[in-house]
Amino acid sequence: MTTISVCAVKKNFKVYFDKGNMLKERILFPNRNHYERREVLRGISFACQRGEAVGLIGKNGCGKSTILKLLSRILRPNEGTITVNGRVSSLIELGAGFHMDMTGRENIYINAAIFGLKRKEINARLDAIIRFSELGEYIDNPVRTYSSGMYMRLAFSVAINVDADILLVDEILAVGDVNFRKKCFDKLKEIKASGTTIVIVSHSMEQLYEICDRLIWIDNGLIRMEGDTRRTAEAYLNEMKNERD
Amino acid sequence: MGRIRELVEYREMTASLVRRELRGKYKGSILGFLWTFINPLCQIVIYTVVFSMIMRSGLENFNIYMISGMIPWFFFSGSVLQGAGCIRAHANMVKKIYFPREVLPIVVTTFQFINMLLSFIFIIAVVIVEKGQFNPAAWGYLPLVMLIEYMLALGLSLLISACTVYFRDLEHITSVMMMAWIYLTPIFYPIKTIPEYLLPVFCWNPMTPVIEMYHSIIYYAVVPDLADLVQAAFSAIAFLILGSLVFRKLEENFAEEL
Repeated sequence: MTTISVCAVKKNFKVYFDKGNMLKERILFPNRNHYERREVLRGISFACQRGEAVGLIGKNGCGKSTILKLLSRILRPNEGTITVNGRVSSLIELGAGFHMDMTGRENIYINAAIFGLKRKEINARLDAIIRFSELGEYIDNPVRTYSSGMYMRLAFSVAINVDADILLVDEILAVGDVNFRKKCFDKLKEIKASGTTIVIVSHSMEQLYEICDRLIWIDNGLIRMEGDTRRTAEAYLNEMKNERD
Repeated sequence: MGRIRELVEYREMTASLVRRELRGKYKGSILGFLWTFINPLCQIVIYTVVFSMIMRSGLENFNIYMISGMIPWFFFSGSVLQGAGCIRAHANMVKKIYFPREVLPIVVTTFQFINMLLSFIFIIAVVIVEKGQFNPAAWGYLPLVMLIEYMLALGLSLLISACTVYFRDLEHITSVMMMAWIYLTPIFYPIKTIPEYLLPVFCWNPMTPVIEMYHSIIYYAVVPDLADLVQAAFSAIAFLILGSLVFRKLEENFAEEL
């Protein structure tokens, strides 16, 4: 079953040379509002199936993160269509809506609700989230007392326990210590086995080798190559090497 | 219609953000939640001194008159003022995670609405202390009047919050506008005392019939005027529709503009 289908998508951003935001500036310098449109995606099409993990690779600024934002509906394409079937969870922004003065437990409710979960669903997942975060009794302390590692672990645990049909992951598997990272990876594999589609952006080829069924190489807003993980990764790494030389 | 269904889907988000506002706002301050009451109480004391001791209005039981207009006004102005900046204040969330953006102004308006409900304890206390009248039949209209005011406040905060993303000065313009607006609404004086040539301003002010209805119910202890009810409901619905449409149009590019 196709969960994601992206069809001839184009996206361009306004790049302001010098944006006048204040009324004063707009009146004094009416010509300052000049901007140019930069095409970030210039016609991209691909589809993902249920239970498939697809990696996006490419140079910085090639449009990988833009694709994830389009898939999560934060941005809208200028042209083309995107169809996404099912609930989307993203490991893009961790800890959205966290309130520093509230306890970890209270923040789980807020954060999970932002992902669109209902109260009953959150209650059902609460224990699993707390167990996964390894916060133990600290869960009832205010988040401001947490170390950055604890904060990320909590945020990650909520996002990964949403039970989404589509999970978007953007370069954030550098969370926590080695053991926690290993646990996250095992969890991702488990989620994938249960039928969730995963789209992952990463610069770490080892991570991609481990989890992806296929890679899409984005170059300058277009798909340069698509297919088998190792073959695509090798072609990409070769190209990068040639550019360096 | 799909939009409304989605907002219903996200009701837990709305509820927990309202709870976060209510609980989070005063955490760490010694008097905590009591500030919700202390703040309007102080304002009321100030206005009482000014308007019933210095500038006498000649109204009997002036305190009841003033408080029954002022607490609903605080709800309205609070929603609009806080609503104006609410999308920008949550720029980080809007840029990085998907949810129906309408949730943010709805949270602000609902939070202010709950504050108003709590402040009604004051109104009741003042009515009892000043030996005012209670008319149960009139008070029966209160939920309807509150609903109308909620729609008006939400409509305006949808409209202004979306426009502020593109035009930041609007936040400051709004605060100046609200400063004048309170005096263009019959809160500190009865509408009878307004000079003839200024009447059109008051008639076109959508808050005039709303505040007049609160006065009818709480101060005059009579059932609100049907003309006020119709005018208020009409403008509230108009503002809500206008606000939602403008919001939907502008919302598409929020993530890029912020």
